[in-house]
Amino acid sequence: MIDLIIIGAGLAGLFAAYTAARAGQRVKIVAKGLGATHWHAGTIDVLGYYPTAAAPVTRPLDALRDLTRAQPPHPYALLDGALNDALENFLALMQELGLPYAGAANAGDNLWLPSPVGAARPTFLAPRAQLAGDLQRAEPMLIVGLQGLRDFYPHLIAENLTKQGHPARAALLPLDLITERRDSNTAQLAAALDEPARRAKLGAALKNIVQPGERIGLPAIVGLEAHRDAFDELQAQVGAPLFEIPTLPPSVPGVRLTNALRNRLRQLGVRIEINADVMGFHAEGDRVVWIESDASGRPLKHRAEKFLLATGGILGGGINSDHTGKVWETVFDLPLVTPPNRGQWFRARFFDPAGHPIFRAGVAVNREFQPIDARGARVFANVWAAGNLLAHSDSILERSLEGVALATACAASRAACHPKP
Amino acid sequence: MHTASWHSVGMTLDECIKCNVCTTYCPVAAVTDKFPGPKYVGPQAQRFRESGQLKSPDISVDYCSACRVCNEVCPSGVKIAEINARAKAQIVAERGIPLRNWFFGRNEQLGRIGSIAPHLANLGFHNPVSRYLAEKIMGVARHAPIPRWSTQGSFRKWFFSTPRLKSDKKIVYFHGCSTNYYEPCVGKAAVAVLEHLGYEVIVPPQNCCGLPMLNNGEFPAAEKLYRSNLEKLVPYADKGYPIVGTSVSCVLVLREEASEMLDLENAATRSLRAALWDLSEWLRDLLERGELDTNFRELKMVLPYHVSCQARAHRMGRPSLDVMTLIPGLDVREGNAKCCGLAGTYGYKVEKYEIAMKVGEEAFRFVRAQGDDVKFTTSDSEICRWQLEHGTHKDCRAPVEILAAAYGLYDLDKRRLL
Amino acid sequence: MKRIETDILVMGGGATGTGIAWDAALRGLRVVLVEKRDLTHGTTGRYHGLLHSGGRYAVKDPPSAAECIAENRILRRTHAHCIEDTGGFFVVTPEDDNDYPDQFYAACQRLGIPCEEISVAAALKREPLMNPQARRVFVVPDGAADSFQATHSTAQAAQRAGATILTYHEVKQLLVEGGEGNRRVVGARVRDVARGEDVEIRAAMTINATGAWAGVVAQTAGVRVDVIPGKGTMLAVNHRIINTVLNRCKMPDDGDIIVPIHTVSVLGTTDERVQDPENLTIEPWEVELLLREGEKLIPGVSRARFVRAWAGVRPLYQEHYNGASRDATRDLTLLDHQTRDGVAGFLTIIGGKWTTFRLMAQVTMDKACEYLNNCKPCLTATTPVPGVEQGHYWLGHRLREVEEHHLQNELVCECELVTRAMLENAARNNPTLTLDDLRRDVRLGMGPCQGGFCTYRAVGILHQLKDEGRRTNDEGEVWEVAAMQSPAHNLASLSAPSSTLVFGLPSSVLLRDFLQERWKGLLPILWGRQLKQERLDELIYLALMNADHLPDQNVSSPMSDFYSRPGVSTTADQPPATDGGGAR
Repeated sequence: MIDLIIIGAGLAGLFAAYTAARAGQRVKIVAKGLGATHWHAGTIDVLGYYPTAAAPVTRPLDALRDLTRAQPPHPYALLDGALNDALENFLALMQELGLPYAGAANAGDNLWLPSPVGAARPTFLAPRAQLAGDLQRAEPMLIVGLQGLRDFYPHLIAENLTKQGHPARAALLPLDLITERRDSNTAQLAAALDEPARRAKLGAALKNIVQPGERIGLPAIVGLEAHRDAFDELQAQVGAPLFEIPTLPPSVPGVRLTNALRNRLRQLGVRIEINADVMGFHAEGDRVVWIESDASGRPLKHRAEKFLLATGGILGGGINSDHTGKVWETVFDLPLVTPPNRGQWFRARFFDPAGHPIFRAGVAVNREFQPIDARGARVFANVWAAGNLLAHSDSILERSLEGVALATACAASRAACHPKP
Repeated sequence: MHTASWHSVGMTLDECIKCNVCTTYCPVAAVTDKFPGPKYVGPQAQRFRESGQLKSPDISVDYCSACRVCNEVCPSGVKIAEINARAKAQIVAERGIPLRNWFFGRNEQLGRIGSIAPHLANLGFHNPVSRYLAEKIMGVARHAPIPRWSTQGSFRKWFFSTPRLKSDKKIVYFHGCSTNYYEPCVGKAAVAVLEHLGYEVIVPPQNCCGLPMLNNGEFPAAEKLYRSNLEKLVPYADKGYPIVGTSVSCVLVLREEASEMLDLENAATRSLRAALWDLSEWLRDLLERGELDTNFRELKMVLPYHVSCQARAHRMGRPSLDVMTLIPGLDVREGNAKCCGLAGTYGYKVEKYEIAMKVGEEAFRFVRAQGDDVKFTTSDSEICRWQLEHGTHKDCRAPVEILAAAYGLYDLDKRRLL
Repeated sequence: MKRIETDILVMGGGATGTGIAWDAALRGLRVVLVEKRDLTHGTTGRYHGLLHSGGRYAVKDPPSAAECIAENRILRRTHAHCIEDTGGFFVVTPEDDNDYPDQFYAACQRLGIPCEEISVAAALKREPLMNPQARRVFVVPDGAADSFQATHSTAQAAQRAGATILTYHEVKQLLVEGGEGNRRVVGARVRDVARGEDVEIRAAMTINATGAWAGVVAQTAGVRVDVIPGKGTMLAVNHRIINTVLNRCKMPDDGDIIVPIHTVSVLGTTDERVQDPENLTIEPWEVELLLREGEKLIPGVSRARFVRAWAGVRPLYQEHYNGASRDATRDLTLLDHQTRDGVAGFLTIIGGKWTTFRLMAQVTMDKACEYLNNCKPCLTATTPVPGVEQGHYWLGHRLREVEEHHLQNELVCECELVTRAMLENAARNNPTLTLDDLRRDVRLGMGPCQGGFCTYRAVGILHQLKDEGRRTNDEGEVWEVAAMQSPAHNLASLSAPSSTLVFGLPSSVLLRDFLQERWKGLLPILWGRQLKQERLDELIYLALMNADHLPDQNVSSPMSDFYSRPGVSTTADQPPATDGGGAR
């Protein structure tokens, strides 16, 4: 019998599974498909802007104290040291998996890394391959792209970086340095660079154009399965610090992260069933007994003692809405915290620093990360929730997507391992 | 193709948020420029298709192998593989079907003709000269692993000429063309297992499920076959008999694909869907109800298990794994390769053979990584079994053969009943 | 100050204005056209794309209907490539009047509008999503028209015949000379918006084709023209759920038409009298109405995925009219200000509909020529604009061309199949100041992701173009506007004969403005799948790109302000004045 079924295979779902499996639980993940990890930067954003997008955060863990005071229902405010634990566990795990992450040189500071358009994006932990891009370092940058790679524009990046006081210049190399193909996306290019011969060609070309004292920014395509070796070898060959810059989806750093986590989960005996779209459930009293997923014949029942919902909110498909203004949670139809009516969902400006209220909608939880209703009463005795599904946080606006995912996954998972009656 | 209703697969294009996850995992787009990826040929191109257009705008959708990995990873529920299949059918409706693909669709007739004189048929097809000519004239890749006709007669011949168990517990068996003509041993193993569990096996008249036709865009002919199977099988469904199949792709067609791709849904299709099971799925159900005999002999070996893309397309979990892991001593290792590459009739086509082999390399590598002294591999689909043997030179057995051996009923080496 | 002398000054770069420039140029006259923003910025760029058969007005407004069918036939020849031969249905739903269908049929016969009744079963075979409860269905030669392509083709044809087209030139003041009794408009003072300079244009005849702004412009000469601005709201479904225009068979009213145009299906429209043509908001009741009425033609449509909502203003005119704009005439009206107001050298053309733009231009130029004593005949009815050799538009053409020429890796806007060369050529050869202008040219950002991926790519490509400077093209190939929507006709990136406005703005402004412009048209219909899409787009531009923190946040373009206006009446920053939101 499965102890815990986790619904959702994003960062929250995978990390919750890891936390529970390490604690000895028999865990299974069911998910409709693969999501936000494949679209974002592959970094761990803890808190970049708070309380609005106009206010950059330099030290997220310090800022959390203000946040906890000012917004008691925010997911970060419900944690009990779980954020630190989650980040530490994450770092240790990634070290083990050969995909190490690290933070800024001054511990506790946010990193400020070049974005694909040349802005400075705040993040707390980045994979090693991105670290040399920290804009708090002084070395001038050479941003290198590939002609024909339509998802990366080095001149644009260099110009915007320079305008912000970070000297950068740009260069374009021919795409046929690394592939004979004309049509590839970043994941396919990264796979091509798993091959040493192709890497060597790229390395030689880079060595040719880099100037002493420069660090080189590349699109995030330096290897997929063999990323660690690919990156180290390339950097050694070029003789200058390299850093990856994430691109439009698919996010190669995100794919590397997901693959590493899934491999570890497989080793821990956690079965991950993708393509399982949960479309129903059965509860007896206040306990969910099974959920069922769509299949070619009859729906497939999944039974467990406990269930953890990590379906990702509006972005992940965990929350849906329609033209009447109705908003609902798509698995258990849990009560949601939402703006009072559709007229209040959005602000007029897309880039409004205060964001759009509908994106703060979600499932409200108690301190055990169990969903509660408007009166604060727990809805199910054996259901927990984590990640972007939770209410009271717009983690894209805040740049806290992965921080909220990891911390709440850790907390919810632990609570699920020691359920309160 | 024109949207026939709000429930047609074409409508699911609206779920697409252009996130690129499908293209990231597509095993064919990963190895060739000829296929621009599932997002492009599926939901994106679908907005440019309408039936009754002067001409179909498509070309590259032909390189979709229908492995359905795209559907598997899509977080939004787009039925990409089905959209692609319907686009191919639109091309065929407009431009006609190449003779080679027409022959692929007549798989059942070819099987029957060859089974009249199997030795001769095998000799005639499986020699370098014939293969060369078939490639040059028909476009059938000379190295692709076409199966051999069984020299022991068809499955049906064996079934109806040997004494079979009678019982109150009845179960219907859908064998499919490949079991009937090429791998009757798989059918025999299935019957042995079912009879061991106390069931009387019924093998009714049945015909090809139509998958080669569906995959090659010959929808009207596929619909005829599907309707014919409905007529033959639904009476048993209505009697309450379970219908099991060992060919995981045939079961997928009969349960879901035919109905979805042909936009055909009625009481009969629903009835068949409710009664039809993949054999492993049915055995797992028995297991969950405590009715499966778990008294297995030890089978001590490492068994790499390639999970066929068609098996995953069922979204029924891993029933073969659930059952095989009960066998003592058996070290079943689940692979994660996306597709063996052969993908129905795809890898048999000369212009696609190399692509298929590149796609399959992931599966071959997985098998190689399990060690040199691996004797057998296993896979639910006959297509995967043939491709794996071709790519790894290790014998591949169906899960039901493993089970039959574990029940002491079957010889895995010689592939025959004890 | 720069000065231009010409025969005809046309104000307004919509269908009518460019039609007049084309007509005038073909008659051998010198003509300058000024448009305050990009071509089709006004009503022409904001309608649903219907090429009228006239059926809609056969009963209510027979003269309008007669004009429509005549022009329908002409445009199919002169602007073939801008038209899709979809055909149209007039559908009698259970709610519709019993008398009307027969009246409708009889009126069509009288007016020479081809009209044939078909069985409901046959109609359903062609359009399976049509309401199966329909009672009767009539087939008419409605079509779908790409007004962007048509206006650009007409403008380029006019230029080839000698006309000067000046976009981003805003009329500030009509120049009037003479005293009491013999006043005369002699031209206009115009502002070159991109360069911030004034230009004086002197003309023998000044023509006001500014549509919804006609009153504002005429006012600068002291002439009163009371335009009845009838705002119409439209919603676009993400894909072609129908391929035939569907009309309700009844007196024209709100929400009674669905038009298949390019890759979307447009539900239209409402009709609400407004004050300011520049500041249009879409009310929740309008959206509800369109969905409710749409259900009668296509049951289930309110659950479809909508990608866009927008509003245009019909420039209606009816002398001494005070009623609802829904009932105002759609007739075209030519105001000869000499006879009407004692101001010579000045004509205003107003009213009408897109289908009759050529006729409106002809009527105007016939009158202008009377005054100029130049009686060359109008040639526009028989002179095709460049591009007609492509034949009618068909839905699959872009896909087919991308497939045949293996252009997959060239795609910038994947949703709408816009290649890099198409974008570069449009940017270089067609004066554009914003990405929205490029959108009108090539359909950038008009698909389901509404700019999620292509905004970034377009900004990157334009930035690269700017750095590359002007590329010379030795073959002397000239870019054809008629081919601007064709991947196959844009296999090479061609040189720019003129300077390109869009290079004047920082990339971050282009990006911000376009995302804002897309957002504006999403707010009224943002729920369900499109809301999920937008959240992904937010992930990309906020979390991944941090584009809201790029430098140059304080820089703006002449269009920035326009895009920032909300476009809906209630948002979280402006809650409704009364409880419950807008109610009719």
